Amino acid sequence: MLEQFLTGFEMALRADTFLMVSIGLFSGMLIGALPGFTTLMAMAILLPVSFFLDPLVGIPFLLGIYKGGIFGGSIPAILVSMPGTGAAIATTYDGYQLTQKGKSRKALDIALFSSIIGDTASDIFTLLMIFPIALLVMQFGPPELAAILLLSLVVVAATAGKNPIKGLLMMFIGVWFSLIGTDPIGGVERFTFGHFELKSGIPLLPMLIGVFAIPEIVSVISRNADQLKATSKVLGERLKIHEFKRCLRTIARSTVLGTGIGIVPGLGQVVAAMMGYTAAKNASANPENFGKGELEGVAAAEAANNAVNGPTMVPLLTLGIPGDNVTAILLGAFIAQGLRPGPELFESQGSIVFAILIIMVLANILFLIIGYLSIPFFARLVSIKSSLLIPLVVMFAVAGSYVFRSDVFDIVMLAFFGLFGVIAKAGRFDVMPMVMGFILGNPLEYAFGQTLAMSDGNFWQFALTQRPGMLAILVITPVIGILLWRSINKKRPQPVAAKHDEVAD
Amino acid sequence: MKLFNITRSMSSGVLKKSVFATTAAFLLAFTSISPSMAEGYPEKPISLVIPLGAGGSHDLNARVMTSVIPQYLNQAMIVQLSPGAAGQKGTNEVATAKPDGYTLLFTHNYIDQLQQHVENLPYKPLEDFVTVARINFAPIAIVVQADSPYQTAEELFTAAKENPGKVKMAHSGNWGALFVPAAQLMQANGFELNLVPYKGGGPAMQALLSGDVDVTMGFPSTLAGQLSAGKVRVLATAGDERIYPDVPSFSELGVNGDVGFMHRVVLAPKDIPSDRLDMLRAAFDQLNDDKTYQRMMSRMGENIDYMSGTDYDKARAEQAVSYKSLVESITGG
Repeated sequence: MLEQFLTGFEMALRADTFLMVSIGLFSGMLIGALPGFTTLMAMAILLPVSFFLDPLVGIPFLLGIYKGGIFGGSIPAILVSMPGTGAAIATTYDGYQLTQKGKSRKALDIALFSSIIGDTASDIFTLLMIFPIALLVMQFGPPELAAILLLSLVVVAATAGKNPIKGLLMMFIGVWFSLIGTDPIGGVERFTFGHFELKSGIPLLPMLIGVFAIPEIVSVISRNADQLKATSKVLGERLKIHEFKRCLRTIARSTVLGTGIGIVPGLGQVVAAMMGYTAAKNASANPENFGKGELEGVAAAEAANNAVNGPTMVPLLTLGIPGDNVTAILLGAFIAQGLRPGPELFESQGSIVFAILIIMVLANILFLIIGYLSIPFFARLVSIKSSLLIPLVVMFAVAGSYVFRSDVFDIVMLAFFGLFGVIAKAGRFDVMPMVMGFILGNPLEYAFGQTLAMSDGNFWQFALTQRPGMLAILVITPVIGILLWRSINKKRPQPVAAKHDEVAD
Repeated sequence: MKLFNITRSMSSGVLKKSVFATTAAFLLAFTSISPSMAEGYPEKPISLVIPLGAGGSHDLNARVMTSVIPQYLNQAMIVQLSPGAAGQKGTNEVATAKPDGYTLLFTHNYIDQLQQHVENLPYKPLEDFVTVARINFAPIAIVVQADSPYQTAEELFTAAKENPGKVKMAHSGNWGALFVPAAQLMQANGFELNLVPYKGGGPAMQALLSGDVDVTMGFPSTLAGQLSAGKVRVLATAGDERIYPDVPSFSELGVNGDVGFMHRVVLAPKDIPSDRLDMLRAAFDQLNDDKTYQRMMSRMGENIDYMSGTDYDKARAEQAVSYKSLVESITGG
């Protein structure tokens, strides 16, 4: 094992590998930064390039795209409140507020550093613990996933914001939105009002761009010109060491959370970012700063969503089973090279597997350099004239909604959710619980349906006798919910705040 | 062809060679995007709509096809993923597209021919589409864990017959590539499995390995790793011929006909001008003989068991009939 590790290390140190990883990182960052273009699309489009490269060049190239793409998604989230990917939703909260305060560079810096720390730590953890993780992954089936998703929903509800009634209402609206379309288990159409377009459900990207970006565009247009100068035209300073140090605890917490969430198949980056953000807000001495431009908020979300990366590679490398679409593309790249990931590859060519894991770690150093150098270039985007920036952002919003499925209907959806976002903002409703309800609703329903199918009609008997893990999570769920609820409400200065909170946000 | 010889060598990491290969690969990727100067059809890139998600086997197959076929079309072919509504969204897009030969559909037989009997579709598969080519097909295999009590397919069927609904099988979605063969086997042999849905063949296999279910199905190209590691046992494979020497075929178990095959097919809107359809068919014929294409497909673990458009159109009509009776017998409609 150690021998394979050392050989792997030697194999990983190649100039061409580093060159292609760098190209992958940069193209991933660029494509991820374009709203509507997902990391997944970037990988699928560039997959054939890897066919013509040596395995230890081609696969790292794709890994570079993957890593770069996730960070890239946070760039428009921070700069123009337009999450490029679902993983960047939680980043939008504080990232865009920082841009408004003229601190976009700081926000991008902390996003980069947090992403890299989260990624590196989880990669190293994966490298050292790959076999224990592989055993742990097998403990999570649909019943456990359903319980964890329910727990996530409870966390969203408990921390839904200043006005719990409004938060809960938004969350249920989100869950209802997730029910629109074809029922994932039985195939029955629900709430489609006879529209074929709604049969596949509400598309995520138009919803995200609609509720997050459109209200901001509207508010920028309606604000007066003096204010515009004060906000978006400032490039801002880079992050200072003491600011970075202040975020370290948050980054560490989010990294642990994100890695843990990465082990559970089917949860992913969106949930990780949200959980990391919630935990940071809960632990902070000043939770009221979150959502108003708190660096820790960006750090929490970005460290958590990148920390998911390491463990998601485990089922692919140890079992040859892709857990999601990204790893499915990687599997394609492996197979096209004549390498079949799985238990056998580990025995016959373990050094290659280790080489790839080691490259994943080393790629983060390149990521740091490339990211740090390109941030000023991206940050300049918001310094252009608002008469130019606004049409540009609108164009990206429309194109970003359209390009994902090439469907005009998605632009209708963008308009609908834009309006929804504007009304919600006017009424001081937080859209985050709605989005999370929407994102969690579908997998929860699916996993619960699978659980019912597995239990063959005897749910409670099945839970009690065969799934102690699910039972344990179900039991602690209300406890966590109540504790979070109390701790978040306790920190808030009581009587005066009630009124104050209404106007804040 | 030389590209492969250069890049195949595993550990000889000579920078110069790789840089050459990289440049060549990028050139290849970009030339397939630039429009060519050829006269007449096709004078602009052709869209290949896949009604399925990124990273699936159709996506991967299409990436190989579209990186080679520009040679024979003198035009790029661009993959356009349009997942949703169990494949109906993308299919409908092509059904309603202008039948000018610039929009094609890359789908499989279950979306194409089975769904019409399960749901009300906004299109009519046989009336709205014509086959350009069947790219390849994949025969399904019945798989259990290596330490499963079921040594043979008969034992599994008997157990499922004696305890209806107690044996759990993981599948990749209702009326999908694993569900339909299971339904066909249940119909032919009169037993009942508890069909538990998963999001794709990968999660279904993981459910088998973790012991959440008793049986699943998979294509040989995805099973190789698990088989050689001794983690799973194959009980039967689709078709008349054996795929593994000591594993019976479906025919030997008394299940005959087009059961358990996933055909990957390229379809065009029915009203496509016949000269354009002929050109497309010819290009796919040539693609199938291309050495680079063949090597890439075999490295992906896919066969190149090609069938011409005209031949597959006959098979489609037969599928429509047999799927109808299958759905009726299962849903009792």
